[in-house]
Amino acid sequence: MEQLENSAWIVLLLPLFSAVVITLFTRRSGRVSALISIAAVLGAFLITLGLIPLVRQSGFVKVPPLNWISVGDFRIELGLLLDRLSMLMLIVVTGVASLIHIYSYAYMKGDPAFSRYFASLSLFTFSMLGIVLSNNFFQMFIFWELVGISSYLLIGFWHGKASAANAAKKAFLANRIGDFGFLLGIIIIWTLLGSVNFDHVEQRLITNPAALGAFAGLVGLLIFCGALGKSAQFPLHVWLPDAMEGPTPVSALIHAATMVAAGIYMLCRTFFIYQASSAWPEFLSFMNGITALEIIAWSGGITALLAALIAVQQNDIKRIPAYSTLSQLGYMTMAVGLGGTSAAMYHLTTHAFFKAMLFLGAGSVIHAMHHEQDIWRMGGLKKKMPLTYWTFLLGTLALAGVPPLSGFYSKDAILAKAYEQHTGFFILGLIVAVLTTFYMARLFIIAFLGNGRSNSAAHAHESPRLMTVPLLVLAVPTVLAGFFGLESYLSKDASHAHGGGINELLFGPINHAPFAALGGILAVVFGLFLAAGLYLNANRDPLPLKARGLARTLRNRFYIDEIYGELIDLTQGTLARLADWFDRWIISGLLVRGVHGTTEFAGRALRLAQTGNLQTYAFLLAAGIALLLLLVFKP
Amino acid sequence: MSILTYILGFPLLAALAIAFIPRNYRFLIRLVSLSAGALSLLSAIAMFVHFQTGAAGYQFVEKRVWVEALRISYHVGVDGLNVGLVLMAAIVAFAAICAAYEIKEREKEFYLLLMIMISGVIGTFASLDLFFFFFFHELALIPTFIMIGVWGRGEEKNYATFNITLYLSLGGLIALIGLIALYLQSGANSFDIVEITTHLQNTPLPEAAQKFIFPFLLLGFGILVSLWPFHTWAPLGYGAAPTATAMLHAGVLKKFGLYGLLRIAIPLLPQAASFWLDIVAWLCLGNILYCGLVAVRQKDLNLLVGNSSVAHMGFVFLGIASLSIVGVTGAVVIMVAHGLLAALSFALSGYLYNQTGTFSMERMGGLMQRMPFVGAVLIMCMMAGCGLPGFANFVGEAMALFGSWDKYKLITSLAVWGGLVIGAVYMLKAIRSIMHGPMPEDLPATFDAGPVRKIPFALLITALLLFGIFPRLLTDKIEPSAKGILAMTKSKPVAVAPLK
Repeated sequence: MEQLENSAWIVLLLPLFSAVVITLFTRRSGRVSALISIAAVLGAFLITLGLIPLVRQSGFVKVPPLNWISVGDFRIELGLLLDRLSMLMLIVVTGVASLIHIYSYAYMKGDPAFSRYFASLSLFTFSMLGIVLSNNFFQMFIFWELVGISSYLLIGFWHGKASAANAAKKAFLANRIGDFGFLLGIIIIWTLLGSVNFDHVEQRLITNPAALGAFAGLVGLLIFCGALGKSAQFPLHVWLPDAMEGPTPVSALIHAATMVAAGIYMLCRTFFIYQASSAWPEFLSFMNGITALEIIAWSGGITALLAALIAVQQNDIKRIPAYSTLSQLGYMTMAVGLGGTSAAMYHLTTHAFFKAMLFLGAGSVIHAMHHEQDIWRMGGLKKKMPLTYWTFLLGTLALAGVPPLSGFYSKDAILAKAYEQHTGFFILGLIVAVLTTFYMARLFIIAFLGNGRSNSAAHAHESPRLMTVPLLVLAVPTVLAGFFGLESYLSKDASHAHGGGINELLFGPINHAPFAALGGILAVVFGLFLAAGLYLNANRDPLPLKARGLARTLRNRFYIDEIYGELIDLTQGTLARLADWFDRWIISGLLVRGVHGTTEFAGRALRLAQTGNLQTYAFLLAAGIALLLLLVFKP
Repeated sequence: MSILTYILGFPLLAALAIAFIPRNYRFLIRLVSLSAGALSLLSAIAMFVHFQTGAAGYQFVEKRVWVEALRISYHVGVDGLNVGLVLMAAIVAFAAICAAYEIKEREKEFYLLLMIMISGVIGTFASLDLFFFFFFHELALIPTFIMIGVWGRGEEKNYATFNITLYLSLGGLIALIGLIALYLQSGANSFDIVEITTHLQNTPLPEAAQKFIFPFLLLGFGILVSLWPFHTWAPLGYGAAPTATAMLHAGVLKKFGLYGLLRIAIPLLPQAASFWLDIVAWLCLGNILYCGLVAVRQKDLNLLVGNSSVAHMGFVFLGIASLSIVGVTGAVVIMVAHGLLAALSFALSGYLYNQTGTFSMERMGGLMQRMPFVGAVLIMCMMAGCGLPGFANFVGEAMALFGSWDKYKLITSLAVWGGLVIGAVYMLKAIRSIMHGPMPEDLPATFDAGPVRKIPFALLITALLLFGIFPRLLTDKIEPSAKGILAMTKSKPVAVAPLK
């Protein structure tokens, strides 16, 4: 019994085991591979559930670590950290992953690379669990990278398609830019504090808040870079919408529910480094007076607004939720920046459920429409696909933040935090809430209501049960997750977790911060009316007619991708061309060929004694030996 | 006899045997080579397993006096610094023999030279005598030139052969001058590295002598390891070399210079080293950033791999320059890891060349559909090359970077960028244009590797993963030896991170 915590290792290793077995042995049998993969993730989920009481009792369980490297002060101990935070994330990841594995079995049926799909999915699950359970920065970075590569493999799953291959590459590179900061931050932390373990670093910073010295602010920003990449925050957000080139269940699991949440999770996990004073090194002295957290909050706020605006003019049933994911992640980042880590984690949890459901619903539609993704070619799906319709409706309402669905409570937690901290962010949050409701209602009205706009819409039919059951299961937490008092569970504040009863649970937000709650509800109502007025019974988008320039800018994502393309070509491209030119013409051209020419000249002079070029070495060697003998026997 | 003598002796015996096999007995020639390589590899594994971690001094030592008057002796032995290198050399050697399958002309001569080269390569890293250290290096180098000249490929073959011969002979010569000067100045009157080291530990060389000798060793070794700006021979030469030769040279023989720096130049000339290493730290950016950017621009797969191999040497130089226990240990890990990786990269590009008849990445594409195994290995190889955890390269490069930040803040930051971002740019570009996307129509029929040809790939990937997942197999062995080297540089305070 006392070894129970060691079963956390099994949670972590089961998916890895599945990935290895599939790769080595069952590649040829897709069914077996799928079953192994599903069994592994379900097993991990069940063991996770079994671990809940353990964490509940003690709140914090440390699993004995393994000594992975120990050289001088560089000691990396791979350990697992089980506390309230990681437990919540563990449940979300294994739970959502289980459902998506099952869903994939039906969705991916008939794909020639069925086994490869499940092997990659298992690899991803393993890596993601590794991030969640890490007890030190270095271990987290290891799994961080592994998540990056599994995401790369899954986005580029249909690698024969140029767009998928390009999207995979783009995602990996954007993540790598973020990881650059992350790794550098870890290096600085280790150099200054001599440890990478979360608890050691936290202790050091509590006993001596100035332990990071002039690097405190910089370290905070560098670590945040990791989150910028993985959670696709502005300015590294460009990869996420393209990542929708991957199979839809992958988008649901990785690019909506789990991997992109890793950045938020990491910020919450390492929040202690932001509580230290925000000093800047000399070359960044212009940053004095600004804290790393402020930058984080702004980055999140900008992403939330930007992505929500772009989502308004997208027409792809996967891209709209993708931009919505960006926008919601921006909310969470903003919450972290404002100091509300528990609000951020709360929203992360509820968002994981309803966004996964929305993506799986979108996948169900795409499946029924024979891979049609344009919402303007859909319509009238309400009657054809009732289960998908109802779950999608639920997801839309939860995302918009309609009480009493879970999304209302978690979004309210963020809005309340913003209201308390900074009015600017509160207003920004409200605008985003209006936009969220607007674009989701637009998507929903066009795709599901009205009449079918194409042949495949008219002939659509409900998806198989293996796909609809996960939708129904996800509907449960979508409705209920708001009632568990997750925020107080996370903030380790027992005072209002037990008191109040059902009344407190349902109406808590209104009692605590009525202005924020009412603002949120008003935003929903406003957004809903706006969308209904524009899109009910519309056969094409009226917005581009009314505001042509704006609509085009939004549709083209503010031209950010194009600007980046130019920028990269201008900087890295120019440098690379320059280096290549220098290498070709100066070093190997002028210098080496010059030496070559001189040597050849000397060689011609020596030709009487030597027979040809290849013998040059023999000559040099002989000369060396002669020199050796001369020097040895001289003294 | 020491097991090391067996490891380097089997290939030499095989070379001897091949000389007496008639040239049309192709199968027998291959069989002899493969068996010698396998025996050598098995012995190397046995040596690695039986190596006593943390024990003082050298193990598996054998010493036979050769020239009494000059105190030259055949002296082999390993400590933590070279035990991994000898194992890596044996692994790469076996893989290279497998890859030599592609040679279809004058096989007898090729295998003969290959086996001599292998013996030399292993001998270099096992030797504890300056004379043999250098002798074995030349023993491996001469067949390299001949193999490139005779069995090489590409339009630039002749120029590449000339270039690499000239460069490496020059590097060898300059290093030789330094070594001889060291021998003369040390006063130990011996070629034995162990004896010189003990002698100099007690009576260090005067600073003026150190500052005179060190530049020779640095320049000579630097040229041999393709330190920027003496690197242009490498991509060109490897591009022209037959696969097996490129694998052995880029993978193993090239590490001669790095090993020489660590084993000889730095511990014996510590004061000069601490002065010159600051310059090396800057030059290493030339490798990491500059050659990385050059690799980004390449359209030829072999040139890309060659430039990337040069770029990776920068991390080794950075780790060594840091003179910290973490950095130096990391540098040695990279030497082992990169040896395996470079061999794998050249084996892959050689295989693709044989299948498609081109190195031009623009003319390839979508090959993943035709060759899932080779494709998977290529992706793993490229990922190992851009520092993905799980592969040994990540461990080494991360340690080199962790170890050097304290001393070189700006350089390390730029090196992190080079490793994580620039490395990823060209590696992903290669995967994208070779394996992914649609297949060009004019591509000849290509086939995935058969079971036999999978062996070298599987062997090298397994080794990379093994050391990447269980890095203590290497680091625990390297650390005590690295500490010994750093202890000899104590004349200047060593930069180590503060205790917690």
